[in-house]
Amino acid sequence: MLAGCNAFAGYPITPATEIAEAMSVNLPRIGGYYMQAEDECAAMHLAIGASLGGMKAMTATSGPGFILYADPYGWAIGCEIPLVVLNSQRVGPVSGITGAPGQGEFYNVRYPTQGGNYETIVLAPNSAQEAMLMTVEAFYLSERFRTPVTILADQLITDGFEDISVPETDEEKKAMGMRFMERKAHPGPEFYPPTDEIDIPPVVLGVGTKALCSDWTPTEEGYDIETVEAQHKHSYRMIYKIRNHKDIISRHETLFLDDEPDIIVVAYGSASRTVKTAVKKAREKGQKIGMIRPISVWPFPDELFQYKAKYLSVELDYDGQMVREVQRAAPGDSEIHFFGKCGELPTVAELHETFDKLLSGEQLSRIGWEREAW
Amino acid sequence: MKDRIEILASGFGGQGVVRLGQIVGTAAVNQGFRVTMLKSHGTEQRGGYVRTQVVLSKEEIDSPLVEDPDFFCSFSSAAYKQFGHMMKDGVVLYDPAMVEIDESKPFRQIAVPAKDMAIEKLGRPIYANIIMLGALSAAACEILDKENMLATMLSIIPKFKDENRNAFEIGYGMVTS
Repeated sequence: MLAGCNAFAGYPITPATEIAEAMSVNLPRIGGYYMQAEDECAAMHLAIGASLGGMKAMTATSGPGFILYADPYGWAIGCEIPLVVLNSQRVGPVSGITGAPGQGEFYNVRYPTQGGNYETIVLAPNSAQEAMLMTVEAFYLSERFRTPVTILADQLITDGFEDISVPETDEEKKAMGMRFMERKAHPGPEFYPPTDEIDIPPVVLGVGTKALCSDWTPTEEGYDIETVEAQHKHSYRMIYKIRNHKDIISRHETLFLDDEPDIIVVAYGSASRTVKTAVKKAREKGQKIGMIRPISVWPFPDELFQYKAKYLSVELDYDGQMVREVQRAAPGDSEIHFFGKCGELPTVAELHETFDKLLSGEQLSRIGWEREAW
Repeated sequence: MKDRIEILASGFGGQGVVRLGQIVGTAAVNQGFRVTMLKSHGTEQRGGYVRTQVVLSKEEIDSPLVEDPDFFCSFSSAAYKQFGHMMKDGVVLYDPAMVEIDESKPFRQIAVPAKDMAIEKLGRPIYANIIMLGALSAAACEILDKENMLATMLSIIPKFKDENRNAFEIGYGMVTS
């Protein structure tokens, strides 16, 4: 609402229901709209419709709902509709465990719909305070890039409880690093220019500019065409408007990287909270351990992984997802390790045991259900 | 005071475990603490396993995980068995109607007959978690202000204020420092 959100469409699901509940109470008070949909697919379509109508729209769900967003998410990417989507990860696959955190949708949010030929913007906060900041940022980026932006949260962030500071004045908002972008309407008729430029207003219905949007490959005006050449132009835009302006999106937190650390721990979201405590305490013990926390997880911040060290990706999944990106981004001769746990945060004690093993050159893998080699 | 206070509560769904954590957390915020609270639960509103983890500090909190509880409110034997091993020098508050403790443990364990007292004094077991809250408030009185805790509880639970106030005082009176 700080970012100007005035429409929310949702369908209840633990652990994102509280967001819908709060919006249903608060949006009508400022003249906004809350819509309870019949299912998640409809909720996402409704949010897209609100955005096409010129509103700043949002929806929130969890993994089992997020996969039902797949079809409308593709519409929002293809028709370049600004939108904010929050996915609070619980434990999967399918319904899994409702009231516990997971990070199984790391790749799901990169590829939220079929077909390829697009980049996505995903921000992953690790606290209530940062969730507020990143939601505001998501609205800002969605307007500038004319695309849906996903906030990748998890159960501990949306279902937990923390003190936060809410800015009241413009100065306070600025001091917190909040950025804002008003909704504008594209004047037409070339709604879909084949360029990587950003800050092109989106299509808005009902403002006298005429409007076209379709799920088929469009001409620059938005008519269906379905030719290879038109599709190439459209894909170029969907990919390179984001790739070529990654610097505007990119944000991260790093800790203790200046003295050639032996181990660099990589974590995002709520997993990074215990990692940070574990890394700080390891430093107190004299262990040379650093931390990289991507906040913008897509596009993946390859540029952060220039250090030669042992990398340890700590994730709330057992299959190892972000670790694949770390392996790809890190220098070729780096050692890459993985610590996975799901449904609960890794404890500081477990992380210290893992650091000790890595520092002494021991292998982390165990055989059996507890921790198979990645 | 330690730079970090960890409070754990666990039991079954419907016992008011999450509500207890929410009240403690909000009271601490009102008192100027930085606070994190995690809750873990299953799908069911009643009957499933529930845990809440509250961390208080004057500084920003990185790890929100309780690994060395200063206070552990145990509402079930299952919870006691699952989390009792984490206790080092903290205090366990348990309801003897629901929890069988291991008396050989070296840490302090305080019986809070919350369920029985709720039925006996207030006529309904639903007040048991507020009796436990009162007991926790007494055990943590050097950290958390009693009047603030009481006022916060009454602001969060809008109904049955007299009964909840009584429940809180009954619990508070069960713990002597």
